[in-house]
Amino acid sequence: MAFDALPDVSDEALLDLYAKGDRAAAYALTQRMTPRVLGYATRMLADRAEAEDVAQEAMLRLWRMAPGWRSGEAQVSTWLYRVAANLCTDRLRLRQRRRATPLDDAPEVADDAAGAVAGLIEADRMAALEAALAELPERQRQAVILRHLEGLSNPEIAAVMDIGVEAVESLTARGKRALAALLAGQREALGYDGEGV
Amino acid sequence: MTGKGSEMAREGNDMMGLDDLLATARAQAPAPSDALMARVLQDALAHQPRAVVSPAIVTAPRGLAARISDFMGALGGRLGVAGLGTATLAGIWLGFAQPAPVAAMTGLFMTEVPLDEVDLIPGTDDFLTEG
Repeated sequence: MAFDALPDVSDEALLDLYAKGDRAAAYALTQRMTPRVLGYATRMLADRAEAEDVAQEAMLRLWRMAPGWRSGEAQVSTWLYRVAANLCTDRLRLRQRRRATPLDDAPEVADDAAGAVAGLIEADRMAALEAALAELPERQRQAVILRHLEGLSNPEIAAVMDIGVEAVESLTARGKRALAALLAGQREALGYDGEGV
Repeated sequence: MTGKGSEMAREGNDMMGLDDLLATARAQAPAPSDALMARVLQDALAHQPRAVVSPAIVTAPRGLAARISDFMGALGGRLGVAGLGTATLAGIWLGFAQPAPVAAMTGLFMTEVPLDEVDLIPGTDDFLTEG
């Protein structure tokens, strides 16, 4: 997590200060929000350059919207995740139209135990997770990332995805089961069997 | 039953392993580059509204009534101005009417004295008397 210059000030208060011309608030919001949006976009898109573009665009929309922000209607972070989610969806659909599946961009993952026996290092475990996430249906991937990687609560995810909390729970559960199945082939390498890697 | 139990145990292990993996991934969140942070901050400052000057600081041209009000305030407000007005009118009346007691008082000071009787060094007798 990046250094937060004004840790005691809420996101909404910072946005209000920003809209009033406070430069320190601009700096603090940049430091606080950019890593979150980038993290989400990187995991959704599995492409660093595209994720940076999404993060910058989402933050730009935040700056433009700040003067008209209606206090109490939504959390700043939730609003920002929703914008980022929409931007990611646009890019994923563009990929599909170009017939380039997300997995094409992801690193190759060993698909048999023999290839992984040598013991994957941490980066390989992350790469395997990234590749498995990319294979999930988009909504499941979104829910799993927001819940388990970004740490949002189910109500927050419901607000981001514009669905009910029960739907979030269902998507998250199905997403995790699918992930586990996808990663089962690398069980030993990924440290599923007790001792870990 | 044994096979099914074994499969369930393995699925449980898979989920636990997945939870560990997700926790590790969460701790390794992608860090933004300095270049990205600089671009975002540049956008922020470029689109930031200018600081609004407080309306209280902006002074509009003041009308005659406002200026009179300010002047009256400096003189002590309505009561102060009323007192001053009364005193002024009283002075004018005394000047024109010359009531008897006032005329008697002014007569003491305004008696005409011939120029050749002016004592240029008054009261020297007092010094001579006391030695």
